[in-house]
Amino acid sequence: MTVPVVSDHAPADRRRPGWKAWALLTPMVLWLLLFVIVPAAILFVYSFCERDEVGGVIFSFTLDNYQRVLDPVYLLIFVRSVGYAGLTTLICVVLGYPVAYYIARATEERRNRLLLLVMVPFWTSFLIRTYAWITILKQEGLLNGLLQSMHLTSGPLSFLYTPTAVVIGLVYAYLPFMILPIYGSAEKLDHALIEAAYDLGAGPLRAFSAVIVPLTMPGIAAGTLLVFVPAIGMFAITDLMGGAKVPMIGNVIQNQFLQARDWPFGAALGVGFMLMFAITYALLQRRGARLAE
Amino acid sequence: MKVLKSLLLTLTLLLGPAALHAAGELNLFGWSEYIPQEVLDGFTAETGIKVNFETYASNEELLAKLVAGGSNYDLIQPSDYTAEVLIRRNMLAPLNLALLTNCKNLGLGFLKLPHDPQGKFTVPYMTGTVGIVVNTEKVKTPIKGYKDVFQAKYKNRLVVLNDNREIVTWALCSLGLTPNDITPASLAKARPVIAEWVKLVKVFDSDSPKTALLNGDVDLGIVWSGEAAILWNENKKFKYVLPAEGAHQFIDVLAIPAAAKNQAAAHQFINYILRPEVSKIISDKFPYTNPNLAARKLLTAEQLANPASYPASANLKIFRDIGKAAADIDKLVTDLKSAQ
Repeated sequence: MTVPVVSDHAPADRRRPGWKAWALLTPMVLWLLLFVIVPAAILFVYSFCERDEVGGVIFSFTLDNYQRVLDPVYLLIFVRSVGYAGLTTLICVVLGYPVAYYIARATEERRNRLLLLVMVPFWTSFLIRTYAWITILKQEGLLNGLLQSMHLTSGPLSFLYTPTAVVIGLVYAYLPFMILPIYGSAEKLDHALIEAAYDLGAGPLRAFSAVIVPLTMPGIAAGTLLVFVPAIGMFAITDLMGGAKVPMIGNVIQNQFLQARDWPFGAALGVGFMLMFAITYALLQRRGARLAE
Repeated sequence: MKVLKSLLLTLTLLLGPAALHAAGELNLFGWSEYIPQEVLDGFTAETGIKVNFETYASNEELLAKLVAGGSNYDLIQPSDYTAEVLIRRNMLAPLNLALLTNCKNLGLGFLKLPHDPQGKFTVPYMTGTVGIVVNTEKVKTPIKGYKDVFQAKYKNRLVVLNDNREIVTWALCSLGLTPNDITPASLAKARPVIAEWVKLVKVFDSDSPKTALLNGDVDLGIVWSGEAAILWNENKKFKYVLPAEGAHQFIDVLAIPAAAKNQAAAHQFINYILRPEVSKIISDKFPYTNPNLAARKLLTAEQLANPASYPASANLKIFRDIGKAAADIDKLVTDLKSAQ
């Protein structure tokens, strides 16, 4: 394979960012510093501290919080949260892919209208939309009313406050985050390549699996990250639509900062969470790099 | 550590609400859904003092903000056991009772309770209980206590507060143990009871437990008395029962933080709230138990007959501060909820 070699003779100003570039970067660097690096550092320091009697933080050094993170109780919750987020991501891909692909292939005028429709839900507060789902799913709600008036069910079914309701809520909240990146990839897809696949004797299935999916993979990957990561930490939907029956990792962390007032333990859970993402991301990058070779 | 602390302080100052301090302003930090806007407007109209009202949803949130420092409140509204911690940590300013002439309106039974034995730091705002709501159209058998609620036949028909200390308290009461004595031994006894209970519950909700009952998703609940009172006003089929094994009684108080700048305005506000006609407005909007006996005289017969607002005397338990045991309780309930 060939590796592009950066010439040693290239002018210095082309490789090194000049002051203008730094000036443009400053707002972002400051933003990252203030809202990512500093809070993460505080979280890290807190995770080694102790809780005092009223829930304040005593600055000391202890590993107790991390020991507690590895307690089977919390590991089980962690695994369950990954399961819910994984299922949500899968459903989002299956539902979102055809939609994104269709929008990308539509005429420009129609495409813009359809994209607008994907965005419209964001014009309303997330909480209001969740309450709307409660109205639909509750025992005397719209869905049960519809089913009964169509004589499909004899009595009301329980939808609200079940795991199904949680997954419905999660998919609803995050579907646009899957559609938009896939749309981005699908729009750039060169139709000539698909025609070439047909010319070379591929059927529709083969063309889809061997050409279209690999070419839109960056969009699927970005969508997966955008859905999976926030879904795993979500606590409002599990509280409102799941009846707070089965705790998710987001609920446990939230509890540490409010009810239990154990900030150091909450911080340790948060750090564990971040580590998990960082490791997964690094592994994926390495695999990606190896595949590229 | 000093660097970190100053950094933290800068952050809280940057992100927290800028509490500007003019002479004619009162920074009030109170419960959400507890002080009617009408009362605040009335106070400003009369005194010219502007009220900056910020809210919280739990005592823990209040404590967290006060302990973290950096915030400047003139008046806060903790519950009894939280006031107790604040008094012990010297975080409250003693009240000038000479300025609080309307204290005479308060019932003696609500004063000088264990959280503030001398009555020097707190004035009761509203009180209430945690009890059982029964939808009598759906549940025909009589319900007297926790043991009648948590039965296999009511599986998936229950809403309870999403509050770990409350749940543990109910279990301890049903075992005949005192709710403030949280030890590894008492928690070990409560554990199997709670493990059975959480399997039966359909919804855990502290913010608005009445919703699941009104929507018909559940038929029984253990909720705040104010929520139960609203349910009863809505439909008389919702009956309120104080558990025979013991019910939690809470007393929410008004208190002035030691660091408060405008203590004069805070005293004025407390005295204003204690007026019968003002206190009545609060009762109209949030039908908890009003400790202001002069205000009770202004209430309608129907308001006074509301069994959730003014229950017949019962076996009531007051919460005391339990310190670090709060974390043990949280772990126990999280564990059991997760294990179902």
